[in-house]
Amino acid sequence: MQTFSNPQTKPVTSAPEQAIVASEVEMMFASGSQLFPALKKVNLEVLAGDIHFLMGPSGSGKTTLLSIIGGILTPTSGHVTLLGKEITGLSRRQLAKFRLANIGFIFQGFNLFPALTAAENVETTLKLKGIRGKEARAQAEYLLVQVGLADKIKSLPRDLSGGQKQRVAIARALAGKPRLILADEPTAALDSHSGRLVIELLRSLAKDEGCTVLMVTHDPRIVDIADRVVDLEDGMILTPDASRLSTAS
Amino acid sequence: MASLARKNLFQDLPRFLVAQAGIMFAVSLVTIQTGLFNGFMRSTSVLIDHSEADVWVGSEQMRHLELTLPVAYQRLSQAREVEGVARAEALITQGSLWRKSSTAQIVPVRIIGFDPQGELFKPWNIQQGSLNQLQQPYTVMLEQSDLNILNVKQVDEVADVGSYQVNVKGFTRGIRSVTSSNFMFTSLANAHVIANSPVATPRPNPPTPSALTTQDQISYVMVKAEPGQDLQALKQRLEAALPNTRALTKAEMSDMTQAYWSKSTSVGFILGLGAVVGVIVGIVVVGQILYASVSDHLKEFGTLKAMGASDWFIYSVIIEQALWMAVLGYLPGMGLCVALGAWTLETQAVQILISPIAATGVFGLTIVMCVGAAVFAIQKVTQLDPAIVFKT
Repeated sequence: MQTFSNPQTKPVTSAPEQAIVASEVEMMFASGSQLFPALKKVNLEVLAGDIHFLMGPSGSGKTTLLSIIGGILTPTSGHVTLLGKEITGLSRRQLAKFRLANIGFIFQGFNLFPALTAAENVETTLKLKGIRGKEARAQAEYLLVQVGLADKIKSLPRDLSGGQKQRVAIARALAGKPRLILADEPTAALDSHSGRLVIELLRSLAKDEGCTVLMVTHDPRIVDIADRVVDLEDGMILTPDASRLSTAS
Repeated sequence: MASLARKNLFQDLPRFLVAQAGIMFAVSLVTIQTGLFNGFMRSTSVLIDHSEADVWVGSEQMRHLELTLPVAYQRLSQAREVEGVARAEALITQGSLWRKSSTAQIVPVRIIGFDPQGELFKPWNIQQGSLNQLQQPYTVMLEQSDLNILNVKQVDEVADVGSYQVNVKGFTRGIRSVTSSNFMFTSLANAHVIANSPVATPRPNPPTPSALTTQDQISYVMVKAEPGQDLQALKQRLEAALPNTRALTKAEMSDMTQAYWSKSTSVGFILGLGAVVGVIVGIVVVGQILYASVSDHLKEFGTLKAMGASDWFIYSVIIEQALWMAVLGYLPGMGLCVALGAWTLETQAVQILISPIAATGVFGLTIVMCVGAAVFAIQKVTQLDPAIVFKT
C-alpha cells in the first residue's frame, strides 16, 4: 500500500453538530414464521463533516442500518434524526423529498444508468432536483472534471473501468450539493489500488464541500481514511469510538 | 438532458423493433377495419353523394337507393311546378343482365338512366367517350374496373342487355358500389326501354327509343332547390304536390341507404370486432414489452427511487416510453395503410377509406392503447422496494 494522507484534524467548525443521530434503532426481520433481530438497539452519532466508517462482517446489519439512516427502510423501533430533522415517521413521499434534497448515495454495484453517458448520469440527479439544460450540463461536467474524468464525459458506463464507474457515481452523488453521502461498500467491486484512490477522492471532495459521509465497508485497507470507525456485529455496535483507528494503522 | 426513457427503449433495438412491429400490426388492423367499413359505407351511397340534387323524391315505399318502387314520369313535371324548385331531373335505376355473347357468362348490371344534358346527376371521372354520345340510341358507358367481369376490352364493343343490343361508348373510373351490380350508365330513354325489356333472345333493335311519356315509370325525381330555400319545408311541399312519394334531402337519402346496408349486413359489427381484436393485440404486445423493459431496468428504477425521485418522475419515464412506442408504431402503420388504401382505390371493389378523422382517431386510440398497456409496468415499479439497490 502506498502513500496515504492520514486525515487532517477535523474541519474547523465552531461547534460540531451531529449530522446523523440514530437512537435505539431496532429492526426485526421475518424469516418464515420466526422473527429475528437484524439490529438491536443501535445508537450511532456522526458529526457534521466527518468521514465515518461502519464496519463489520457480513450479516452484521451494516447495510440494514445504512438503509434505515437513508430513509429507505423503516425501523421496527427507534428514531433517526438527520441534519436536525427527525425522519422516522415521515411518509414515503416526504422521505423521497428529503433524500433528494439532502442525501447522495453511492452503491457497491455503481448503479449507473447503462444507457446514459457519464455526464447524463450525473445530470439525472440534477434533473430530479429541477436543474436542467445548460446549467445541468455545466455542473455535471465540472463534477466529472473534479473526479478526474474530464476525458470520459461522453463515455457510456460499459466503456469505463470499475474505478471510473465509481467516480461517475461519486460525481452523481455529489451533484446538487447534498449534505450527506451514504455509501454502501463502494470499494467492494474494485481492486485495492483503485478502491483506495476512489475513497481518497471521495474524502477530499466531501471535505471541500463540508459533506458528511457514512460509509459501510469491510475493506480494512482503507480504514485509515476515516475520521471515525464503528464496528457492528450481530446487530450491535462494538466500539462506539475511534480507538480502532490507531490499531488499524 | 437526454431522456432516460428514450435511451433505455432504444438500447435493446431488436426488442424495440419487435414491439414496433406489434404496434404497427395493431394500428394497421384497426385502420384497415375502420377503413373498410368507411369504404363499404361510402360505396353504397356513392351515386347519391355525387349528385348535385338537394332533394331526392321517390316512392313512399323506398328503403334505399336500389330498393324502391317506380313513380310516374309525370312526377317530374309536377315537381317543376312546386315553389322553390330550381331544377328537377329524373333518374332510373334498375337491374338487368349483361350477355356478351350467347356462350359468355351472364353478368348482373345496374342500369342508371339519367339526362346526359342535365346537371343534377352525371357519371364522373370519365376516361373515354363523352356524355353526349349517350344521347345516341342504345349507347352505354361502363366502369373501367368492371371491364374484366363484363368481358369488354374497348369501346364500340357490343353486348345484349334485356332484349336489346347495347354499344359501349365510354368508361368511367372508380364508380363502384360493393352492394350493387356493375353500373351501366345511359340516357333516360335508353334506360327506359332496356330496363323494361324482358331478358330474352335479342331481336334487332327498334330504331330510336322514344322519349318518356307521363305514364312511363322512373325511379326518382332529383330536385335542386332555389338558393336560400328551407329544404325541410321544400320536402313537405314536394310530398304534398306529388302523390305517394317521399322526399328526402341528399344527406338523408345517403344515410338511409348506408343504414340499410349497415343493418342488413352486420358489416359494422364484423369489422368492429376485427378492430377490437387489433386493439387487444396491441395492448398485449406493448404491455409485455414495457413490462419486460421495466423488469430489465428494475435496478435503475430502484436507484431513482433511492435517490428520491418522485413516483411521478418514474411514471413519466414509463409513459414516455409508451408514447415513443405509440408514435413510432403509428407512423409506419398508418403509412402502410395509406399505401394499401391507394392500391385498393385502383384495383378493388371496396376501398380502404382513411379519412383525416379516422386517422386522428386511430392515433388517439394508439396513444390510449400504449399508455393503457403501461399500467402493468407502472404497477411493477410502484411495488418496487428501493432497498434492492443495496443488494448485489
